[in-house]
Amino acid sequence: MRALLARFVPALAPTDRPKVTGPADPVMTACVVALVAFGVVMVFSASAVFADSRYDDPFHFFIRQSVFALAGLGVCFTVARFDYHGYRRWTYPALAVAVVLLLMVVLGLGRAAGGAARWIAVGPINIQPAEAAKLALILWLAYSLSKKADQIRSFEIGFLPHALVAGMLMLLCLKQPDFGSAVMMGVLTFTLLFTAGARLGYLLGALAIAAPIAFAVVRFSGYRMDRIRAWLEPFEHRYGIGYQIAESLMSFGAGGATGVGIGDSRQKLLFLPEAHTDFISAIVGEELGFVGIALLLLAYVLLVFRGLRAAHQAADDYGAYLAIGITVFLGMQAFTNLAVAMGMLPTKGLVLPFMSYGGSSLLVNCAAVGILLNVSRPREVEELTEEAEAADAKNVPRKTREKRAKKTKDGSRGATRGRRKKRMNMRLEGAE
Amino acid sequence: MKNLTPKKRRWARARIAFLGTLLLCFAGAVGHRAYVLQIERAPALREMAEEQYLRQVRLAPKRGTIYDRHGAELAVSVDVDSVWANPRRMKEEGVDPAAAAMQLSALLGVDRARIQRRLESDRLFVWIKRRLTPRMAERVRALGIEGVHLDRESRRYYPNRRLASHLLGFANIDGQGIEGLELAFEETLRGSSRAVPAIRDRRGRVVYSEQLLDDRAAQGDDLVLTIDKTLQHIAERELELAIRTYEAQAGSVVMMDPRTGELLAVANYPTFDANDPGDSPASHRRNRAFTDRFEPGSTVKPFTVASALAQGTVGSQQLIDCEDGAMEVAEYTIHDTTPYDELTPAQILAFSSNIGTAKIGDTLGRRGLYRAFRRFGFGEVTGIPSPGEAAGSLRHHSRWYEMDAATISFGQGMSATALQLATAMGALANGGRLMHPRLVRRVQTHDGEVVEEYLPEARRQVVPPRVARLVADMLTAVTGPGGTGQPAAIDGFLVAGKTGTAQKADYVAGGYAEDRWLASFVGFVPAQSPRIVMAVVVDEPVVAHYGGTVAGPVFRRVGEAALRHLGVPAQGGGEALDRFAREQRRRRRANERAERLAERDASNDEPEPAVTLTVPPGSVQVPDLGGRTARSALVAAHEAGLAVQLEGTGLVVSQDPPAGEVAQRGSRLRVILREDRADVALEGAPRLAATDDSGRMEDGS
Repeated sequence: MRALLARFVPALAPTDRPKVTGPADPVMTACVVALVAFGVVMVFSASAVFADSRYDDPFHFFIRQSVFALAGLGVCFTVARFDYHGYRRWTYPALAVAVVLLLMVVLGLGRAAGGAARWIAVGPINIQPAEAAKLALILWLAYSLSKKADQIRSFEIGFLPHALVAGMLMLLCLKQPDFGSAVMMGVLTFTLLFTAGARLGYLLGALAIAAPIAFAVVRFSGYRMDRIRAWLEPFEHRYGIGYQIAESLMSFGAGGATGVGIGDSRQKLLFLPEAHTDFISAIVGEELGFVGIALLLLAYVLLVFRGLRAAHQAADDYGAYLAIGITVFLGMQAFTNLAVAMGMLPTKGLVLPFMSYGGSSLLVNCAAVGILLNVSRPREVEELTEEAEAADAKNVPRKTREKRAKKTKDGSRGATRGRRKKRMNMRLEGAE
Repeated sequence: MKNLTPKKRRWARARIAFLGTLLLCFAGAVGHRAYVLQIERAPALREMAEEQYLRQVRLAPKRGTIYDRHGAELAVSVDVDSVWANPRRMKEEGVDPAAAAMQLSALLGVDRARIQRRLESDRLFVWIKRRLTPRMAERVRALGIEGVHLDRESRRYYPNRRLASHLLGFANIDGQGIEGLELAFEETLRGSSRAVPAIRDRRGRVVYSEQLLDDRAAQGDDLVLTIDKTLQHIAERELELAIRTYEAQAGSVVMMDPRTGELLAVANYPTFDANDPGDSPASHRRNRAFTDRFEPGSTVKPFTVASALAQGTVGSQQLIDCEDGAMEVAEYTIHDTTPYDELTPAQILAFSSNIGTAKIGDTLGRRGLYRAFRRFGFGEVTGIPSPGEAAGSLRHHSRWYEMDAATISFGQGMSATALQLATAMGALANGGRLMHPRLVRRVQTHDGEVVEEYLPEARRQVVPPRVARLVADMLTAVTGPGGTGQPAAIDGFLVAGKTGTAQKADYVAGGYAEDRWLASFVGFVPAQSPRIVMAVVVDEPVVAHYGGTVAGPVFRRVGEAALRHLGVPAQGGGEALDRFAREQRRRRRANERAERLAERDASNDEPEPAVTLTVPPGSVQVPDLGGRTARSALVAAHEAGLAVQLEGTGLVVSQDPPAGEVAQRGSRLRVILREDRADVALEGAPRLAATDDSGRMEDGS
């Protein structure tokens, strides 16, 4: 068993990990805790009437969300304790599990909700494979991109494998159908390839291919086209396909500058569907007004800023890619959700991270931010010097460059050890 | 990224910065959109939002309670459960509509097919049954069918069902008064009736925030009636019994406290259950005592006689020729049931001679008779707060036919309501002072704070007290041996009253019907210091038709029970009655003296100016507690609004301040009680205590 695991899950020597020298980003931690707590309050406010009318219990969603929030924060801080370098060995297993789960959903083993089968029941809990798949994709992209390093600019090594894996996952999402997740995966792949330095030409080419496909998918699917029309003219279709978006816009408008006061939303009196899930921001907008929405937006901007800062200061490129992937994942979800609620984008089934009701997405988002928090911890790493850059400019083979780097780091003493270790690493990673 | 070369690192960092800028732009766009929606377009959007949830709703605060004079609840609003279902949700949860319909139908008694049809509809909200009993609601809850819900609604409930239903009227399913006091005091009972903007949810149900409830929804005020639930019950019971016994069509009983004009009971038959007004025909729901006018017949004779005595056109001992039972007026002939030769006014009343009354009425002249009846309140509404009160008809004397002057004096050719009769008789019982009949004592908030108090109010002094007492004495002969009203006599009390047996007008054939009668008895008791005045009217009795026979027993039984309930001690028969008869003779002599004096200076013979009893606001008239038990004294003083300081046990022998004085409301009334019955002799006739539960006194002889 252990041997089998060792075969598929390459182990990394712990010594390879840079030493952690400080705590995780406190600003980011504060943002996440505040958002989760605020989410519980708003879920209660938005769902009480609906829950009372449906379950005869106004606390139905509040109690559940409270449990999810505690579990989510627990997951977040637990994950944050594990050094992110440890995830490298779990990259392929995670990707495989994600693909299997997505396949299960596509093959009809899932549980339908809201017109799309996106859920899988694992015991008493329902999980949404698409959420986990996005995280798996980020892990894999970060791993793969950091490993390929220089070859990233090549088409067959740097671009194609990533595009294929991402394309496959997107296709599985589209089959569910979950257009939102597919787009999100595309954005993540695109962003990470771009940050890692893939050729812009390839990226733009991929975009040129993907755009018509996306257009066709939307154009020839009745409900997606409806969503587009509802988005373009919400008040024209106020009592039909545009009902939800029109109600959402009215919620924001009714809130005005300072809102009607927390708990006093009128739109939640069953007028606004999904008030406690995808459209929770509309209730925030109504109850707390522009001030509330601005503060909420600020919290997410701060989170994104601190996430990118973590990427900027990450110990290595793997950490940086992870941080960027997760930051973009969270930030895009938040901004897109807000944009959808405000009628800037057509409706997609995206949640407002940390705020919307739902255990599956909250746990995934918390796990993701846990990784991000770990990346944000300062580590004792020596930077590559100008000398190395010069070597790089002369296109010195990577091995030599590594050796030089180690040499600079360890001094004369560690030259042989560094070489040996590097070899071991290469063998263990065994991909090239 | 420290493992990258500085150049790569710089590029990577630049790309991260670029990415950050993009995300920031996105966030900025979202923020701008929020600004547009929430600041610039806010008014328009808010208006749209409000349009869908704001409704002008007439707030339905809890309707006020109606109490009887002792605080027993006659009409209350209670929150009850209504059951509704969400068929779409039931479908989602996989509930079988047929099975659910079967269960609900068995429980609620609603047609199974109808429930099933509703449950199978594709709707979010259907009523199953509104306003359940608490038991039913509990069982529905116990069923626990998914998608079947219970909601609270307010329901008007009349705990005593038929009791006083005509007075109370009823409220409809939305809590709006439709009849009776519920209608007359609609504004008071409903409370704040402003239409206010309320909030509704998507199903259209009104949702209040607590704040809205606190600010706007005032609870309706409560009504405290003058009605005594016990007396009301007795009156209704006895009336129904009499109507069944004599196979009559309908009937009314009006009982009043002559001193204050407070109505103690108003019974009607046929009756209805106020909880289910739709179950009875409209004729059953009519408050006949107030709305039905009839030709009163002989019961108005005392008013003719009293007016003539007051005007001095007839002497109390004057003999009047009764023409041996037949007198021609115009081309008609007036008959007496028994021919008489010459009668005194007292005998005319006792034997109910039409001819004698017509002659006495004639002495007043047409104008005098008309004005006398108007002064007793006939031909105008009493102003009782009850919808649809009839004024009765008393045509102006200028439009009387020749015959009318004679017949109106004995109650034919005019009409009146039972309430008018009781009120007019109350004037004779109350020393000639006509009181406003009252149904409501006070309006109070739900926590007992008095909003408005209705105090006794005299309309006018109709006849001088001397005349009123004289006529009252005369009327005791009616229930005495040989009088027409003997069945109304109450053991141990002197009853003053007058019977009435009127032929009913035949509106189809014209003239009077031979076989349809209206039997009545109007009287008061005890005759010397009346506590209750009562009018009993029985419409179209078949088995017998004389007022004394049909209505008299109702008066007796109700009066007996009422006196016992009010704690009025019996005055006694035998020796006590003899003493009372001596007193009566003495008074008659005094009256003759007064008449002679009046004749001597006839120029001075003006009617006494009308006196209105005015009790200054915040003050009350001290009641006469003499001879009462401690409990009854407490009740009486409490009713008058005085605090009582009791000393000793037994019966009341003296009080301070004395009866009839005006005292500050809430001031202290000192009452001294003594066990020894020998001491319980107050001025006037000796009073004996009731000696057993039945209230009948032990006859001394």
